[in-house]
Amino acid sequence: MNKNFELISDYIRKHCQADDYVLRVNSMDSHETRFAQNRVTQHIAGGNLSVDLTVSFGEKSGSCSVNQGDQESLDYLIRTAEDMARLNRPDPEFMPSVGAQELPQTQNMDAATRDLAPARMVEIVQQAIDKATAYGASVSGMTEKHYWETLLNTKNGFVGTDSATEFGHSMTLKKDNVETKVSYSAKDMQGFSLEGEFAQLASQAESLKTMKDFDPCQIAVILRPSALEELLWFMGWMMNRRQSDEGLTPFSGQIGQPFFGGNFSLKSTLARPELYAPAFDHEGVASRELTWVENGVLRNMPTNRYWAKLKGLEPMSAYNAYMPGSHASEEEMMQMVPRGLIINRFWYIRTVDAKTGELTGMTRDGVLYFEDGKVRNAVNNLRFNEIPHLATRRIVAMGESGLASLHSCMPTTLIDGFTFVDKTSF
Amino acid sequence: MRFPDLAMNAAQSLGAEYADIRVQKTTDQVIFLRNLSLKNTSTNVLNGYGVRFFKDGAWGFAHSNVFTDEAVLATVKRAAEIAVLSASVNKAKKLRLAPERGYIAKYETPVRIDPQSVPLKEKIELMLEVNRTMLSFEGIRQAVFYLVMHKDEKVFASTLGSRLELNTQWITPMLTATAVWEGDSQSRSFNEGGKAVGWEWILDLNLVEKAKQIAEEALIKVKADTLGPETRRSLILDPIHLGLTMHESVGHPTELDRVLGWEADYAGISFATPEKLKTYQYGSEIVNFMGDNTLEQGLATLGFDDDGVPGQKWYIVKDGILNEYGSTRDTALEIGLEASRGCNRATYYYDQPINRIPNLYLLPGKKELTPAELIADTEDGVYIQGQGSFSIDQHRLNFQFGGDFFWEIKNGKLFRPLKKVLYKSCNPEFWNSCDAICDEHWWRPFGVINCGKGQPSQSARMTHGAAPARFRNIRVGGSQ
Repeated sequence: MNKNFELISDYIRKHCQADDYVLRVNSMDSHETRFAQNRVTQHIAGGNLSVDLTVSFGEKSGSCSVNQGDQESLDYLIRTAEDMARLNRPDPEFMPSVGAQELPQTQNMDAATRDLAPARMVEIVQQAIDKATAYGASVSGMTEKHYWETLLNTKNGFVGTDSATEFGHSMTLKKDNVETKVSYSAKDMQGFSLEGEFAQLASQAESLKTMKDFDPCQIAVILRPSALEELLWFMGWMMNRRQSDEGLTPFSGQIGQPFFGGNFSLKSTLARPELYAPAFDHEGVASRELTWVENGVLRNMPTNRYWAKLKGLEPMSAYNAYMPGSHASEEEMMQMVPRGLIINRFWYIRTVDAKTGELTGMTRDGVLYFEDGKVRNAVNNLRFNEIPHLATRRIVAMGESGLASLHSCMPTTLIDGFTFVDKTSF
Repeated sequence: MRFPDLAMNAAQSLGAEYADIRVQKTTDQVIFLRNLSLKNTSTNVLNGYGVRFFKDGAWGFAHSNVFTDEAVLATVKRAAEIAVLSASVNKAKKLRLAPERGYIAKYETPVRIDPQSVPLKEKIELMLEVNRTMLSFEGIRQAVFYLVMHKDEKVFASTLGSRLELNTQWITPMLTATAVWEGDSQSRSFNEGGKAVGWEWILDLNLVEKAKQIAEEALIKVKADTLGPETRRSLILDPIHLGLTMHESVGHPTELDRVLGWEADYAGISFATPEKLKTYQYGSEIVNFMGDNTLEQGLATLGFDDDGVPGQKWYIVKDGILNEYGSTRDTALEIGLEASRGCNRATYYYDQPINRIPNLYLLPGKKELTPAELIADTEDGVYIQGQGSFSIDQHRLNFQFGGDFFWEIKNGKLFRPLKKVLYKSCNPEFWNSCDAICDEHWWRPFGVINCGKGQPSQSARMTHGAAPARFRNIRVGGSQ
């Protein structure tokens, strides 16, 4: 355990007078080089600490967080949390903290990424700008690395620690009226190649050169992993067991029912080493293999400890998202429907109606129109109003599931009859 | 001022062309109550400092939470090293800072009752009463009260000689009642956003009465009709709703960093490009938008921004024409402005400040006009109150908005309540379709407390405002 975390943990154990407590300590060290229009516009480095204490007397709780670990700060932390708890009202949904648990072995940290030199990050940025300049374009984006450590400790005996790294690099290229983006986000740099990323970016830009006006309609879409990820995260936020049991989401009364498309499954998994998977959640519940949707049947939804106890369920959290895929290529998908659109990304997705699960959002960074198995031209960006769980019932084919970001593995997916309702002028 | 002086002396000795330090302690008290269960009762403190170092046309920014001489000097050195690295990239494209002078000043949000001094018990008793009131209505399944009291204590020093003490605070109460009826569920909220005021605002609001109103309206809403297929109609939008509309379709497109393409990779760019200044018909002739970081109770009324530039007031849209942007010291010179408009703000000490929307509001109509008269003058339309779904493209042209509560207007009267209403429009169609704005008596502010932007993402605050206004011939319909 991080020595500083150990000192903080010991201090709280010795000085906290409450009947129960949960201590969460996080440290983060980050370096972020932001560039736009072929120059560096922001450049940030630093570390931070978060010490968060929730205490309870009986069923009365209070919390405080500080970002320093010295004795004076920890005394303030304990005193403030305890004062708040004493002044508070008993919580009818109070839950004592978790006790000792067996935690899974996870590996989320890469030492080379943690130790990545700022000079190397700037070199990557310069190379990206050089390539964009040679291509006659401008590039904007960010190169970033993060290293964080976490401790969760309870009075009832839970002790969990975790550490992780993330390397990210994104580039948005603009040339004439073409804008398109690629991004890399992973635990480490092992899969990162600026050559490869820029080649993909340039390839996307080339495919978008010939733009034609396209009116909104219902049409088949090939959603690339980033687009699908954005859509499913928003759907995932509505998948809450308690809210559903209370009649507030589209998933009310659907556990065990074939509510999704038969070829759609969604999991949180420890078994994909490329995915970030913490050993425990914010309540101290150990991560384990979780199936949310299995071949279209809704199996589980995230459930907090209080609701799980009340309803006789197991508590569970969605700590990452893995959607198993298949083996279809984009070329094969284009042969499966008469015409359609290839979507790189979505943007500004928001809930339209929480009960039906309807979302809205725009396409971004490149939309391609295909017909008779071939890409014909790029088209303007479009607005969709769509219900994702209904859209899964129209999945025609999937590619192999791959890393869309640090937190999700998604396949490129062909969905028929996707509902676009408006368009924009670019 | 020991650490700021130490830092600025060190920055100058390291060759800074410009440097500043922002020592910032942020304290949030958050209480979240759902169905009589306190989900969060917490006090959160973030205390540290960030140093900006500018040299050879590039920034370096380093931050720390350690308050010792050694740590301050190390942070300045790190910022300087990063600035050198930044400057090594594409030396042909240097940033430049608009001229500014140093200030010795203090600013404090005027409050009568410091919200963080009010006993917790008193706050919780009020919140429980409000929660119980909502739950006393049959059919209300979820009652939520979210209360945030925010305080920033900031010391800013720069190599221009500025030494600023800025102590600001704001408060926001948000109430939501959710009704469930015959397989549907619908929510209604009381949400005027945040205000830079004290607890006196909460006492004046009579939140128990507000709770009754929103619970009743949630029950009306869940049983209301939907509008049916999209057609072109008139819209009357209330000030709280307009706060969000103007935020997305006027505030963000007129941030100069977006105009310059600095947000191209994430938050997006802007259609409102510099060649359109002074000529582009952004709205009808009655549409006037002010940028105003001196607005009383405004969330961006902070005395000075994080460039050390004082709060200002200026036209962003004047008589319908795009007039000027919200700018910062490092964006202003890019389009030939002489000075910054003071819109550079950071959220926490560890954030490098970025170009932000100022307090931005729609000026009220010059002729006397009440909301009742506006409705009476509308044959076929929808009156939208409060905020709902919102989405806009990354150039800030095409958008779709929902709302919180809806009435169909027929022949000058509120005809029937509605639910699930959406409208679609775009710039410049929308603001050019504005044909009536109520007078100053009906002007109300809305304080945004969670404007997300930037990489890494920051959450900023600013206040908008409007009187109810009418928009003609807008595509309005029901959701699926």
